[in-house]
Amino acid sequence: MTKKFNNVYVADTYTIASIYEKNGPISNYFDLIYNKDFYYGTDTFEKAEEKMLSNSISKLINKVKLVDSDIDYVIAGDLENQIAASNYAMRDFNIPFLGIFSACATFAEGIYIGANFIEGKGCKRVIVSTSSHNMVAERQFRNPTEYGALKKKTTTLTSTGAASILLTSTKSNIKITSATAGIVQDKGISDVNNMGAVMAIAAADTIKRHLNDLHINADYYDLILTGDLGVYGKEILIEYLKESGIDISLNYDDCGLILYDRKKQPVYAGASGPCSSALVLCSYILNEMKQGKYKKVLVVPTGAIFSATRLFQKSSIPSIAHAIALEAI
Amino acid sequence: MDTYFYAFLFCGFICMIGQLILDNTKLTPGHVTSLFVVIGAALDLAGIYDKIVLYAGAGALVPITSFGHLLIHGAMTAVSDNGVMGLSLGIFDLTSAGISIAVVCAFFLALFFKPRH
Repeated sequence: MTKKFNNVYVADTYTIASIYEKNGPISNYFDLIYNKDFYYGTDTFEKAEEKMLSNSISKLINKVKLVDSDIDYVIAGDLENQIAASNYAMRDFNIPFLGIFSACATFAEGIYIGANFIEGKGCKRVIVSTSSHNMVAERQFRNPTEYGALKKKTTTLTSTGAASILLTSTKSNIKITSATAGIVQDKGISDVNNMGAVMAIAAADTIKRHLNDLHINADYYDLILTGDLGVYGKEILIEYLKESGIDISLNYDDCGLILYDRKKQPVYAGASGPCSSALVLCSYILNEMKQGKYKKVLVVPTGAIFSATRLFQKSSIPSIAHAIALEAI
Repeated sequence: MDTYFYAFLFCGFICMIGQLILDNTKLTPGHVTSLFVVIGAALDLAGIYDKIVLYAGAGALVPITSFGHLLIHGAMTAVSDNGVMGLSLGIFDLTSAGISIAVVCAFFLALFFKPRH
């Protein structure tokens, strides 16, 4: 289902990044980089993620010179069990909170919900946040570092950081024009080391429906971005869409390949995690849109929404993708 | 001098099998480790592993297959002393040193160090 918006704008963003992101190609665009270690001044990785998320929200509120009571909702989610980083971080705020989960597509889901609230005139300002932490994700979904397992080429590297975006009904130079909610897809793949292949089908479906619903072609957008398909998922998506007669090979890129430089960094197939799309969108892409490089951008973060328990029970991996269309005005 | 050569061949052969499994199947390093222990135990049951040790020396004693071989050795020795009950009594006889040291080392390492990237 694609919703059109007439009065939803991006007021500002705040991004916090870590070591790998600092060594990547777009490090100049982040608001804050903490590259001492992965602990962010705390004693566990999980607490570090919580603190990064909390800081991204509080620093965003400070940046736009508002206070907690000016914000109607915070919508946030992350990869931890029970979206722990978000739930714990929100203890620091006196703002109504809605926790969401779409794995790596969480940020887009948040923007979809927030934009609908604002469009329906139910509120004026919504902050959407997300975070991910490499070591937390390793412990949660793959193997802890201590295990010392080698990684496969198709694996992606979970990004570390937090990003928050303030959506508002007050006019600004970036407008959210429409959004498409994803439909859960499952092609029966159960390989956790090849998420790009799992999620490409969800991205293809959402992009197809988005273009159909709005009666536009893929070249309507200056740039179509997926969240973290990685280099292999990117090829698969282009192939999938070609079969449906949609050619995105000229104006398509993947945030996971923008955030890191695969040639110089040991990042396997590219970046992943909710922060991959959120960091790239909130820093580099919005900046380039303001500079006039891109006018219309479609962001389609994809999420592998699987449960580790179900994976052990030999279930395959479902995936979802939400699309958000932005326009510089 | 021959032992060095056979040690290299045998241990390298085991590593090659491990690499082939990791590259061509969905099995994880945990699966491979368990599989090698079972293979070592089976080879020892058939009386083959001791002969390999004779030729390859440390090449056969260092890899994890040797763990399976020692499990069976311990169990079989206890069986000859205590009958069937010896199976469960003796199974960790020869490997308990390795296991205890691993547990103690892990405890102290966890006490003093934090995980890094």
